[in-house]
Amino acid sequence: MSYFIMQILPYITLVVFTFGVLFRLGRWAGSRIVHNITLAPFPQRNSQVLGIFAAEVIFFRSLFSSDRPLWAGAWLMHMALFGAIGGHLVGIYFLGKQFVYLGMSEHLSEQMSALLGTSAGLALLAGLVYLLIRRLTVQKVKEVTGTSDYLQLVLLLAIVVVGNIMRLFEHDLGIAYAPAKDYVAHLLMLKPLPMDHLAITTPFFVLHLLFVQILLMVFPFSKLMHVFGMFANRWIINRVYKDPASGLPNVDIAAARQAGIGVPSGEGGV
Amino acid sequence: MANININGREVELDEDGFMVDPEQWTDDCAVYFAPGEGINELTEDHWKVIRYLRDYYKQFQIAPMIRKLCKETGCSLKYIYELFPTGPAKGSCKLAGLPKPTGCV
Amino acid sequence: MPKYKDMVQPARASEKEMKKLHIDLTPDDQKCEKALQYLDEMRKKFRSFVTAMESCVKCGACAENCHTYLGTKDPNNIPTNRAELIRKIYKRYFTLEGRWFGKLVGAEDISLDVIEEWYSYFYQCSECRRCARSCPFGIDTCEVTFVGRQILHWLGITPRLHANTGGAMENTGNHMNLPRPGIVDTLEFLADDILDEFGVEVNFPVDKPDSDIIYIPSSADFALNPYTLMGAGLFFTYIGANWTIPSKVTEAGNFGFLFDQRFTQRHNVMRLLDAAQELGAKKIVWGECGHGWRAAKMYVPTMADRPVHWPITHIHDEVAHYIRTNQLKLDPSRNDHPTTLHDPCNYARACDLQENLRTVVKACVSDFREMTPNKDWTFCCGGGSGILFDDPEMYQRRIQLSAKKAELVRATGVGANGNGYLCAPCSICKAQLYPMVEEHNLGVEVKGLIDLVGKALVF
Repeated sequence: MSYFIMQILPYITLVVFTFGVLFRLGRWAGSRIVHNITLAPFPQRNSQVLGIFAAEVIFFRSLFSSDRPLWAGAWLMHMALFGAIGGHLVGIYFLGKQFVYLGMSEHLSEQMSALLGTSAGLALLAGLVYLLIRRLTVQKVKEVTGTSDYLQLVLLLAIVVVGNIMRLFEHDLGIAYAPAKDYVAHLLMLKPLPMDHLAITTPFFVLHLLFVQILLMVFPFSKLMHVFGMFANRWIINRVYKDPASGLPNVDIAAARQAGIGVPSGEGGV
Repeated sequence: MANININGREVELDEDGFMVDPEQWTDDCAVYFAPGEGINELTEDHWKVIRYLRDYYKQFQIAPMIRKLCKETGCSLKYIYELFPTGPAKGSCKLAGLPKPTGCV
Repeated sequence: MPKYKDMVQPARASEKEMKKLHIDLTPDDQKCEKALQYLDEMRKKFRSFVTAMESCVKCGACAENCHTYLGTKDPNNIPTNRAELIRKIYKRYFTLEGRWFGKLVGAEDISLDVIEEWYSYFYQCSECRRCARSCPFGIDTCEVTFVGRQILHWLGITPRLHANTGGAMENTGNHMNLPRPGIVDTLEFLADDILDEFGVEVNFPVDKPDSDIIYIPSSADFALNPYTLMGAGLFFTYIGANWTIPSKVTEAGNFGFLFDQRFTQRHNVMRLLDAAQELGAKKIVWGECGHGWRAAKMYVPTMADRPVHWPITHIHDEVAHYIRTNQLKLDPSRNDHPTTLHDPCNYARACDLQENLRTVVKACVSDFREMTPNKDWTFCCGGGSGILFDDPEMYQRRIQLSAKKAELVRATGVGANGNGYLCAPCSICKAQLYPMVEEHNLGVEVKGLIDLVGKALVF
């Protein structure tokens, strides 16, 4: 089973995810932006459009104005998620020694990597729990929540909880950077792993990977597509629009007033 | 659509209870519609408004601007609402056999 | 009065009325199949609709940003849930997850009940786009309402008010069935009134050939808003413009935009272009109408069946231009009532007409007070998208839908002494707010903005 999850399923996941996302995006691209539905205030230059995109992606600006309590949880969760994903890439690739490039000693860098990873993991957990509690308690959110919304939150929570357990009990239940990197290298080179490799014999690591792969396979067929949807929607509603020039043809107000247009003859103005 | 009988004459009404054909209108129609629009008894002033609406409609195929209705009949808007509690657009047009106004009214 | 399984519904157009719009009623046993066929067509065409279907995370941020939900507390009036009424069908028939997992992902088979739900809830939505403004992804739920209403219309399900207004548009080019003689008579009457009240000679030219400007007023101004027409007449006279009102299309609004964009809306766009060409216009200036201004400014270019040679601007863009260049003499003391401005949704969010309104109102009144939230965060008056139904249940609903706006108006304090002005430069807003300021006891009088300009102009 572990062997299947770690050695075969990843390729299936990759195919499902890639083709699923391409299929969805292809459908979006097949439909058109028929009318101009730009949302005010209209940007006047593409740099302003970029500014809107950036403010929305980095700060969730609209949400900040429309629903502050949700913004707090959602922003924390997403930023921690970006941090965690980035940390996985960098930490595993550099084996935790990435901060050496910033002038730290190898030991300090490893500790720093562990500290940042743990913080991101815990922040992510806190954010997800906050969002789950919100779904369970706030009336208006309960009213919009369906079964799949809960299931996806639970799946994310499962990934994060398992990840945090490995992080916090690294020596007993987790896995070091080196075997993880070795595992990734084998996957990329299409080389089978020995059966006694730590990546296969560490139960929590296998579980973590299983959940992540389920998430990636669900991704193209769920609301997780909002990652792309955000850009697709903003591409429609935030675009440059320039008003036609104001000022009316053949109008000379000074002359009109001098001629007294509208003022009945023989009387003064009002 | 429904047909009703007003004093022995068949009159066709639309779903909102307005007359389909303004030509079918007689004084009896106004009397018939009055209770449904919260009017107990048709007074001289009611008839003045109704007659003005009918005359204007005959000439222009629309109801007059409400300001014009007030001015020509000498009734303030407030008084018109007292006469026709459901308002000039709905109540008085219905009594006068005019079609229900459309658009942003 | 109409109610279907506890849902409020506006009275619907009869077979005869729908025929005037070239639509045959779909028999009940074909409705589901046809609805899916139309939905399939829409999803393949409108990307804004597809992304609304496929990228919502159901975070609920839209809920309390929607005046309809705030006023009714009906869960189906939360924008994402309103969209879900179509999304559940979309998922079931047009997505893999819906076909395979059904209920788990919220997919549902289509049924007549679902179609009736659409009719109830898509006609409680004002298409105001505050949900699009508040959505973290910018999902525009208004696009879903558009699609829902278009499908319903093709099935033969349209409110009487909308259908008859659409019928009048095809008949006369305006919402109120105003024929040319009626237009001319009303304008002559107003010219007399202007002379009496303002001592100014204003001539309202109708269909004058070789006019530089055609002015497109809202037809409701001919029934309910005399000072809006008078204000425009005073302004054009003051600046000495060579202008005219085309009787072919005396309508700033376009109800087709609200229920039938494919035919009814498009039809009046061509009427407009015909009129502009016939009268030799150089510029088209739009009157006070919110949805109509959106339909004109944002949709005419993509609706037109020919190149559009005429710049189209809003009268307040022009007034603001002349105020900024110091060419108008305005006396704000003539409008000395505490005044607040209601930003019509379609001006503020769809057309970016925000600052110019303020330039104008501040120059014309002596005591201006901002409402909050305002501009692109404005709340709808509750009548948006023409849901001005007057049967008793729908009228009660209108009171609920205007509750949020009433709260905001009260908070400005302009009505505290009973002599406030609520400036609402849009015909639907006016028609909604005239009775609503009474229902909510706000102590204000509803005014158009060009009305105030007309009063303040010093000749």
